[in-house]
Amino acid sequence: MASEPLRVVCYVNQFFGQLGGEEKAGVGPQVTDGAVGAARAVQQALGDAGTVVATVICGDNYAAERGERAVAEMLALVRAARPDLVIAGPAFLAGRYGVACGALCAAVQAQLKIPAVTGMQAENPGVELYRRQVHVVATGAEATRMLAEVTRLVALGLKLARGEALGTPAAEGYFARGVTRNVVAGASAADRATAMLLDKLAGRPFASEVPRPAFPGVPAPRLIKPLAGATIALVTDGGLVPQGNPDGIEALNATRYGAYSIEGKASLEAAQYDNPHRGYDTSWVKQDPHRLVPVDVARELEQRGAIGKLHETVYSTVGVATTLAHSARMGQEIADKLRAAGVDAVILTST
Amino acid sequence: MTPVAVMVGANRIVQAAGIIHPLGSAELSPEDEKTLRRRIVEQALQALRTEVARPTVFTAE
Amino acid sequence: MRLELRWSEVDELVAGSPTRLAGKRLAVDLDALRTLLAGDARLTGLRLDLVHPGERCRVGRVFDVVAPRARLEGEDFPGVLGGVARAGDGATLALAGVAVVATDQQTDSVGTLAVIDMAGPNAALSAFGATHNLVISAWPAPGTERPDYLAAVRLAALKAAVALARAAREAEPDRVEVLALPPSPRVPVELAHLPRVAYVFQIHSHQRPTGLDEGILYGDPVRRMLPTIVHPNEVLDGAVLRGFMGRSVTTWATQNHPVIRALYARHGRALWFAGVVVTVAQATEPERVRSALLTAGLVAHALGADGAVFTKIGGGAPHVDMAQAAAQCEALGVRTTLLVEDMSTDGSAEGMLLFDFPGVDALVNVGSSHEPLTLPPMDRVVGADDLAPRLLGESRATYGTLCGAIEQVGATRIMAEVR
Repeated sequence: MASEPLRVVCYVNQFFGQLGGEEKAGVGPQVTDGAVGAARAVQQALGDAGTVVATVICGDNYAAERGERAVAEMLALVRAARPDLVIAGPAFLAGRYGVACGALCAAVQAQLKIPAVTGMQAENPGVELYRRQVHVVATGAEATRMLAEVTRLVALGLKLARGEALGTPAAEGYFARGVTRNVVAGASAADRATAMLLDKLAGRPFASEVPRPAFPGVPAPRLIKPLAGATIALVTDGGLVPQGNPDGIEALNATRYGAYSIEGKASLEAAQYDNPHRGYDTSWVKQDPHRLVPVDVARELEQRGAIGKLHETVYSTVGVATTLAHSARMGQEIADKLRAAGVDAVILTST
Repeated sequence: MTPVAVMVGANRIVQAAGIIHPLGSAELSPEDEKTLRRRIVEQALQALRTEVARPTVFTAE
Repeated sequence: MRLELRWSEVDELVAGSPTRLAGKRLAVDLDALRTLLAGDARLTGLRLDLVHPGERCRVGRVFDVVAPRARLEGEDFPGVLGGVARAGDGATLALAGVAVVATDQQTDSVGTLAVIDMAGPNAALSAFGATHNLVISAWPAPGTERPDYLAAVRLAALKAAVALARAAREAEPDRVEVLALPPSPRVPVELAHLPRVAYVFQIHSHQRPTGLDEGILYGDPVRRMLPTIVHPNEVLDGAVLRGFMGRSVTTWATQNHPVIRALYARHGRALWFAGVVVTVAQATEPERVRSALLTAGLVAHALGADGAVFTKIGGGAPHVDMAQAAAQCEALGVRTTLLVEDMSTDGSAEGMLLFDFPGVDALVNVGSSHEPLTLPPMDRVVGADDLAPRLLGESRATYGTLCGAIEQVGATRIMAEVR
């Protein structure tokens, strides 16, 4: 697609912008016409396809300490230069620089709707923070072969700017963004599975089509207070809601949860509750909500002093096809509320 | 579904009584159901006081 | 066991009397067929429509698709249509290029039903965009409850499938496919070095209990089925049907079973096809553990397999159930490969899997049924009169809406690629 040379803006840190080393890391955002420092390698890689119209430079400490404010300031400089494409870095293994590159590219995409690309080494914290939002090209750890590294950044950037279809992460050299898209493969899943099994049996390498889940470990604090002095809360993802589902908790892919008072209640009256959960047959728990949320038993334990207090609010959502993102957010919000209310431990009931 | 809970990193997992009635039963009388429910809740409370180093499934005795 | 599939290619399907296959042109006496199918007292208002590849037509309310097959001798779809008799041995007529599409006119929950596009970009994503389809629409007779209605609809589709295939009875087949597999232990000494590979076929999920009339294995509703072994030919010749649940699986795909065919294609060369273990996905953890134990025992100790391919049917619990069976196989030294459906609902790769077991690391995926898909406008809607206004126009749907695009047994090439 031969066309007008694209307007490109580069972002580099104080070192790659040739202002100095660590002693200049506090420098605020500034812009120079044309390609400066490492941005010259970008211009070389671009050739006739694009012109680096401006280079934005910012000190790594300024960016790290001011966070969103620094990004906003850089964004203003980028906007003024009216680019078709923004290229940040490459940041190699420099952590503050990598995070700043990712943050700037994310903002450029979201707020200016301009394509952006950056590059850094696999262990740069910027990768894990931004690879889902931004195309991050994999580079080496050091700037020894700058032009070779920048060439891959530029190649991907041009495709993004021109709206061309991208190849797989492996083919294009960027970190998997963790999104899936249906494509038509070369053979049926049955054929691919048979071939994969034969490879596995023969000890040949194979490429699994689904990444293994990598859930970070969760801290496991123990309830140290004796139960007789502890406040226990009940939470559920089995879909218990009051009649009429006043909070409109979705039957599938829930994004909301409800907070329901059990103050003064020794038990849950079935007629006052309902259950929109679509992942299981809810007739049993509608008939007797205690089969899902054991308020009756918990209240008895409170009354005979086996637990100190049953928290007066039950939190509830619908846990079928809930995305990981919403689950984590809802969990965090509920946990914050429970902690603020002085709850010591939670029993979460699930189907 | 216990394996899912283990996978996502829940540390204390008490095996309940089935997907459609985690703290109840289709087969028991109401009194026996409540006894079952009491047992599962008490196990959960004990689990809260138990030191665990990784996702641990507590099953009914 | 030796199955001879006598294939006749059809590239034209028309209404005509009598029902006859001449060359590649199949004429169907729709009036006679309608009378035959309408004899079921559970159904009323039975209608038959023909739709063809390339027509700007959308079929709606799709419930299942059946491939036309008829035994030269013996019982068709034993235990459900015909009497209980061995499937998979002997000669069976098969038509290529034609499918029987059963629609569900009763449910209001149309989100659970599928569509078939006969033209446009979606036609290529499904086998049924390329077949000539006989669409059956029937309504429940007054007083017919849901389980009986679905049983009647499925039976009508099976009867139609047999009637169509019987048209090829007098014709010379275009090709004869012979599927012969000796009993698993009888391996000729010169092939004993080949890796023995089994297929673990989850044929139903107890997320939804089966009706009494919902035959799945030789007509048995598999309500208490423990893992067992069948010959692959039995699956290919009508002994296993899809129950009344769900999308991402059709009876057609079971009849043309791609994993069984893939193993047959390599049998005696790259592998020894050790046999098929059929299972049901359980709804409680203790039952899942027991089922996984028994499955692994059959795979490792009865079939003596070195490796096994796994598929599932249904949603999240079957996904986990399959993985538990595979984990138990790996623990016994059997290497496994699984066909999974992307479980994520927001396109995020992190949500694709609900399990992480040691050794269960060779995964193929059959695509994301939640990924959005546009249904372009069409000129004609068949099988869904009440939904026609919406189905005629352009609308947003998902890959799962398109019948035959996502098949859990691995029939298609659609794959969710991680980017």
